[in-house]
Amino acid sequence: MCLAIPAKIVSIDNQRATVEVGGLTREASVVLLPDAGLGDYVLMHAGFAISLVDEDEALETIRLFEQLAGGSFLGEGPSETGLDGLSPGGTGLDGLSPAE
Amino acid sequence: MPLSFLDDFRRGDHVRALMNRLEKSAAALERPVRIMEVCGTHTMAISRHGIRQALPPNLKLISGPGCPVCVTANSDIDTFIEMALLPGVIATTFGDMLRVPGTRMGLAEARGRGARVQIVYSTLDALRLARENPESKIIFFGIGFETTAPTIAAAIAEASSSGLDNFLVLSAHKTVPRALTALCSTPELAVDAFLCPGHVTAMIGPHAYDAVVADYGLPCVIAGFEPADILQSLIMLCGQLAVGRAEVALQYTRGVRPDGNPTAMALLHQVFSPCDAEWRGLGVIPGSGLAIRDEFAAHDAARHFQVDAGYSHEPRGCLCGAILTGLKTPGECGLFGKACTPDHPVGPCMVSSEGTCAAYYLYETNDVL
Repeated sequence: MCLAIPAKIVSIDNQRATVEVGGLTREASVVLLPDAGLGDYVLMHAGFAISLVDEDEALETIRLFEQLAGGSFLGEGPSETGLDGLSPGGTGLDGLSPAE
Repeated sequence: MPLSFLDDFRRGDHVRALMNRLEKSAAALERPVRIMEVCGTHTMAISRHGIRQALPPNLKLISGPGCPVCVTANSDIDTFIEMALLPGVIATTFGDMLRVPGTRMGLAEARGRGARVQIVYSTLDALRLARENPESKIIFFGIGFETTAPTIAAAIAEASSSGLDNFLVLSAHKTVPRALTALCSTPELAVDAFLCPGHVTAMIGPHAYDAVVADYGLPCVIAGFEPADILQSLIMLCGQLAVGRAEVALQYTRGVRPDGNPTAMALLHQVFSPCDAEWRGLGVIPGSGLAIRDEFAAHDAARHFQVDAGYSHEPRGCLCGAILTGLKTPGECGLFGKACTPDHPVGPCMVSSEGTCAAYYLYETNDVL
């Protein structure tokens, strides 16, 4: 029930928006996400936009996966977790050399 | 950014590389560890993608109390059913609740006895029903955690400001961090770390778990819902466990801001105040529920309808309570897959699309039967 799916805001008028997901559109409320704007990707839950999907963060995570899969991870990737900067192990993917 | 970027979180080469990395991380652990996936959406994803079976043998994933329908106590379900049976009432609820058996009947059976029960996708639908049916009382069954509660708060606030007095809510909402600290106090549980819910945390923010870390020393990683998200989160948890540290860390960086969603939480606190709440399996947890504040009393179904649902109890033989707290697995329940199946559910964990029993039945039956 805490399922939330990414959707794109294709029109917005005050607190009401129309979002598109998988080619379908439906009405959504942006009352919980007043910063959302036209063209933004948002997480939709029970008819409400609850969070912006951060494109840069998504691409950064994917880049880590690609480096790991490609064996090119040099252990110098960002250790930022978005939470006060650091956590032990950071992304958990640091320190892996191609030789491993 | 096309939404196809999600495919990158499911790609075979990514998942294989992460699994290899996880095996190395797990090999660094001094002893076997038990990690609880708190969220029902995680349980379903882990089951569907076969992650539980693919893990290194010293890593065990335990399913927790993160299915909102499942943790709703029968006393609340029975109360809502009594309300649904009242004349002039249209009972509205999210779909999963329809088939959950109460003590004497479920909502589906109540509908067979003449109750008007309407499934809604959103409180927006319930508000629309209230506008279209001014002669009826529309009661919405407010279940769910902090992901959902702000959407119900938004509906109550809108009903209040627009004078929609026939929209009422029976609030049985629950808050996640309180449940985690209650679980931490359960000595027999023996959990070493938590895989924390991504979308609850999108609302409450990562620091909501600081008490779990500070008071109990258990690592918390907030995870996304794709296979690569879950594996990376497990690697992050292993990294903390291997060095004996406990912190709140965020894997689901694309969906969760460091301060959560302050607008949603402000609305939640404007409409609701903390109260004691009964959880199936966990009993009463102080301060873990959300009561409708006095300013919005006109929309509080519990105050408006004084119903007596009688004595509530769990179905005989049903282990949902122990399964929700991670003390038992579905395979240990004598009813699982026999008397209790998705077609004929005995307990809520077999009904809900996020229920542990439903997830195991659909995807892991070979391992538990």
